Amino acid sequence: MRRKSLLLVLGMMMVLLLAACSNEGSSSGSDDGKVKLRIAWWGDQPRNDYTTKVIEMYEEQNPDVEIEAEYASWDDYWQKLSPQAAANELPDIVQMDVSYLAQYAQGNKLADLTPFLGEQIDTSNMTEDYVNGGKINDGIYGMNTGVNAVGFHYDPELLEELGLGSEIAEGWTWEDYRSMSDKAAAQGVYFDTHLKPDVFFDYYLRSNGARLYAEDGSGLGYEDDQLFVEFFGMIAEQVDKGATPTPDVLAQVTGIEDDPVVKGEGVGIFQWSNQFVGLKQVAGKPLEIAPMPGPGTSEGLYLKPSMFFSVSQNSQHKEAAADFLDFFMNDVEANKLILGDRGVPGSSEVKDALKNEVSEAQQQVFEYVEWAETNSSPMGAPDPAGAGEVIELLDTLAEQISYGQLSPEDAAKSFRSQAEGMLGQ
Amino acid sequence: MNARVRSNLWGYFFIGPFIIGFLAFTIVPMLASLYFSFTSYGLFDSPKWIGFENYIKMFTEDPRYIQSLKVTFIYVLGGVPLRLAFALLVAMLLNAGSRAVGWYRTLYYLPSLIGGSVAVAIMWRNIFGDDGIVNLALESVGLDAIRWFGEPTAALWMLIFLSIWQFGSSMLIFLAGLKSIPASFYEAASVDGANFIQKFFRITLPMLSPVLLFNIIMQTISAFMTFVPAFIISKGTGGPLDGTLLYSLYLFKQGFEYFNMGYASAMAWVMLLIVAALTGIIFWTSKYWVHYESEGK
Repeated sequence: MRRKSLLLVLGMMMVLLLAACSNEGSSSGSDDGKVKLRIAWWGDQPRNDYTTKVIEMYEEQNPDVEIEAEYASWDDYWQKLSPQAAANELPDIVQMDVSYLAQYAQGNKLADLTPFLGEQIDTSNMTEDYVNGGKINDGIYGMNTGVNAVGFHYDPELLEELGLGSEIAEGWTWEDYRSMSDKAAAQGVYFDTHLKPDVFFDYYLRSNGARLYAEDGSGLGYEDDQLFVEFFGMIAEQVDKGATPTPDVLAQVTGIEDDPVVKGEGVGIFQWSNQFVGLKQVAGKPLEIAPMPGPGTSEGLYLKPSMFFSVSQNSQHKEAAADFLDFFMNDVEANKLILGDRGVPGSSEVKDALKNEVSEAQQQVFEYVEWAETNSSPMGAPDPAGAGEVIELLDTLAEQISYGQLSPEDAAKSFRSQAEGMLGQ
Repeated sequence: MNARVRSNLWGYFFIGPFIIGFLAFTIVPMLASLYFSFTSYGLFDSPKWIGFENYIKMFTEDPRYIQSLKVTFIYVLGGVPLRLAFALLVAMLLNAGSRAVGWYRTLYYLPSLIGGSVAVAIMWRNIFGDDGIVNLALESVGLDAIRWFGEPTAALWMLIFLSIWQFGSSMLIFLAGLKSIPASFYEAASVDGANFIQKFFRITLPMLSPVLLFNIIMQTISAFMTFVPAFIISKGTGGPLDGTLLYSLYLFKQGFEYFNMGYASAMAWVMLLIVAALTGIIFWTSKYWVHYESEGK
């Protein structure tokens, strides 16, 4: 009797163990001879909805392929992806961001797409710069899904009210920015919210012929600390005179609906072009896009890949995955669903077809990016591994400058010594 | 097989699941992290042995690490005594006893059940917002509103207030301790003409001291490991100005945001040493202030 019950317990334990160890769905072929692909992306509900529709459209046209989707919010996405990468169990197609691309590519987690270009993936309607957005060393590790460019998104009516003219013209300079800010601050209106340090310090460096990161990612890409002092000195001045909100006011801005521009308390925001549509929707009033202040605007500006689709190194079906990427980038019907949500598409054919499909705000973005195409310079290498840490360091130092706890000169030195250590690993 | 061995086997069989789990999910990962702490390991590459470099870097080249230590010590030294004092106060009130005491006990314990959760941290964010209830209260009594999220010290104290509010578990332990003090002691003291203050310092505190020791140690350890409220309230940044960068939050950032797994492992081991040292110090001082009934002083 006792032995029987022992066997029973042991048997149950075996079953549990086996259940725990059984492998959950692998990405190889399924029983019905179909190719099974896994795809993962981050995003919000509208993005999840239209991407699912695009996948269904592709499956209809390619009955031998079955695509399984996994999606999550930005934070959860990266926390899920890193262990998958460590275990070599990445989905066949992964959405990638410019700040992680180098890390994953150098860890040999992503496939080089060069052999598929011109084969499965048609790039004939895209510029070389566009395709090279995903370039790390000598390989293309991500297919650019669309581009963004920074600019100043402002409220022309408020500008007029302040007596600063009816529009901000192309070719304005930091000098103009300062004098306009003075006038706005004198009338109790913010001119802008603040310049996000990593994005706009990089722009400032580029417009002065340098970069934030060295091309090989081994350290910082600028020699002269004076540039740091100039840029952050200007930001500190803006805060002092009340043209930019103080950091503790900004800490209360939790979403776009709290933004001074939306509330009519600020002239504009410096930000990426893909954020314009949302801003205009929330603000519910006419807004315009101006380029960045110069001098050196076209050296400073570049078209940033909004995100990439990469094919994982551990995928068993790289060609099939590449074929889906081609569909996503080049198919006009699919892009009528995507509508530039993943950045302004690279294919000229797709762009022409979308011109009549998109909203007015989206059209402004298309026009601005089109203008930027001819008034910008190549991006250069994506962010190196360790960039995340450097960006937070820069944010912290910029915060300390704004609070008056640190002089721009000391911050420049401190940034150099610490950032070199983070990048040189 | 004789009967004793067989009955022991049964014992081993029943604790087997725990032992296997303990080895696989506690001991092995701990040893692995000890090994990683001496390496440079970026999650995607293989670990490279670098000796004590991580440990040296912590104290020489990483101002944010020193900042996180500072913040954590303020949080622990500021929060734990206040929380225990508050817990003892409430326990004394509840010990006085009334018919509804069971209700109150439950009500006061509730915040501790939900206190560590994400939802409460989000609620706390709103309470302390610029137009939140706390600032309204301050303004209504004629004080200036405080920008709780814009000022590093204020943000840290906000976290400390949140921790004080979770006094329930230590309160229950104090309450049990208070119940076990014989009423005859107090009666005898009253006969000798002792007042309330004298009773508290001469009877209550000495009789409670073993319970107090237990509470101090448990609360110090758990305060050191606090993560969730700081993560939620600062939106994962530890800001403003790294004012809420608690040790475990910085550790998480190093490991899972910057992929410096080796460095994060080293930080975890230093944290273990710090907590062990603190606990040791508390134990060492305890012989001067903890009285056990069996000692018969």
